[in-house]
Order: sequence, then C-alpha cells, then structure tokens
Amino acid sequence: MSTAAAGAIDHHHDPTTTTGIPNKKLLMWAFLASDCMFFGCLISTHLIYRLHPPPGTLPARQVFSIELTSFSTFILLMSSLMMALAVNAIQKGNLKSLRWSLLTTIFFGCIFLGCQVYEFRNFVFEKHLTITNSILGTTFFTLTGTHGLHVLIGVIWLTGMLIYSFTGRLGEKDAIDVEMMGLYWHFVDIVWIVIFTAVYLLEYI
Amino acid sequence: MSAPATTPPAEHALEESKFGLFVEIAMLLAVITGLELVTVYLPFMKWLLVSVLVVLSTVKFMFVIFYFMHLRWDKAFCTILFFIGLVLAGGTMWALLKLFGAEASKPLSSAMMDPPAAVLRVS
Repeated sequence: MSTAAAGAIDHHHDPTTTTGIPNKKLLMWAFLASDCMFFGCLISTHLIYRLHPPPGTLPARQVFSIELTSFSTFILLMSSLMMALAVNAIQKGNLKSLRWSLLTTIFFGCIFLGCQVYEFRNFVFEKHLTITNSILGTTFFTLTGTHGLHVLIGVIWLTGMLIYSFTGRLGEKDAIDVEMMGLYWHFVDIVWIVIFTAVYLLEYI
Repeated sequence: MSAPATTPPAEHALEESKFGLFVEIAMLLAVITGLELVTVYLPFMKWLLVSVLVVLSTVKFMFVIFYFMHLRWDKAFCTILFFIGLVLAGGTMWALLKLFGAEASKPLSSAMMDPPAAVLRVS
C-alpha cells in the first residue's frame, strides 16, 4: 500500500522499533544528552574561575563586547528557526523549500562563525587576552572555541545535506536524516543560550 | 533501516500549521533575548537580576527543545533521555560550584587577598 493512500508519513513515531522511536533519532538524543555533560563541565570550570579570579585578572567586562555577542545570539536563534523550517519542509516533501531553508541556515551559521573569529582576533590582538596568558583566557577560549567547533561541524553537515539534496536521492522518506541534523543544530543553539547568560550577561551585573 | 509509519490526515494538518508556530516562537525568543539585555542594566539587587536571567534563559531553552526540537510531539522517552543528561550535567555543575566555592578550595593567592571572616575576627 502506498503512503499516499494510507496518509502522510508519521515522522515522530516508528512502530517497527522496540521504543517506537526511530533508531537514528534515539541515537542523536543519547549523544546530545552526553554532550550536555561535556558542556556542563566546561561552563562550570569557567564560572569557578570567574567566582574566584586570581589577583590582577583583567575584568571580563572590559574585554567583552555585549553588542557583538547579542547580534551573534540573534543570528543563531534565527538559524534555528530556518533549521526548524527545513525539517518541516522535508517532512512535507518540499525540496525547494528545504534547499532555501538549509542555505539560509548555513549563511547564518557562517555569520555566527565570522563574528566569533572577529571576537577572538579582537581579544588576542587588541585586548591581549590569549588562551595561555590568563585563567580567563584559558576557560573562555576553551568553552567558546569548543562551541564554535560544534557550529563549524554543523555548517559542514548542513552543506553536505544541501549538496545531497541535488542528487535526487533525498525525499520525504529521508526526513529523519534532516531531523537528526536539525536536532544537532538546535542543540548548538541551546548551548549558546546558556553560554550567553552564564559567560557574557552575568559579567554585566 | 525501518520503514516510516503513516499518520491520518488530521495529524497532517498539524504539520501544516507548524510554520506559523515556529515563526511566532522565533520572534518570542528574539524578544526574550532583548529583555535579557535590558535586565543587566537595571538598577536592582544582584540576586534578583541573576534570578530573572536564569528564568528567561530557561524559558528560551525550553521553547527550543520542546518546539524546534519536536520534543512536544515525540514520545516521552526522548524527553526522559535528554533530561537524564541535563540533570547529570546540572548536578555536576552544582557540585563543582559548591566544591570550589568553599573557602578551603579558593586558589592560595586569591585566598590570601581575601581572608575568611574567621581570620579577620581573630586579627
């Protein structure tokens, strides 16, 4: 029986697996749960050294640019919207909409990475804050650099999926692959939501 | 890989309406980010501002995971699985902050600059 005759594909449940959840989705959720612990440790390490800064530490408020970081946050939130629309598009079998949504997500992801590169360059060359010359530099660059690396991996994954969509082998039945990628991208966004508050905004209070 | 299941047309209508919902949520997230920015400049007590920031970022976090990441429509097991990771991460963060927040855990140079209250009383 064709899927068209029976109704649309149910992308949230899979009765053929033991859990009723598509295996790929379950794998991604398990990975994201473990990544939470990874970022949790990096964020708490940064917070610990911000609570007890060694004498002579440069105040982070003098280093950070809240305007640039707020812009990056907004860009990443909008990329999350485009990613959600991309998943919605493939679940309806709309390849044209999927491609535009993916392209916009990649574009926003690249802007975010560009902002991060600019911020890092500014910190190193203008503010003389490096990964080795202070505890603030060490914890800050390790945390935000790891997040940036996650964004870069996401952008590469998105680009690969965009190219794959032109081969004609990507259809509604493969929505789970795009959804997995979407889960990863949204996770990068929620990690940034926490970093934005814990690392940047708390310094301004 | 297992074949995808099918759903009746009524549920398919829900998929159609998600577009507007996602746009509304994204706008709401942008507004909350703006509110967070304004909050840090308000002349209130520090604990109050920190609490407001934590609540606002938690709201953003929840909106993304339940709507953009589809947890609202997925089986509860996905939520449980992710929250196990979140609780473990949160617990680790809480434990680390408590451990290193103790007086005896302060870096030596920092502790010397800022002596504990007991030392101040003796001197």
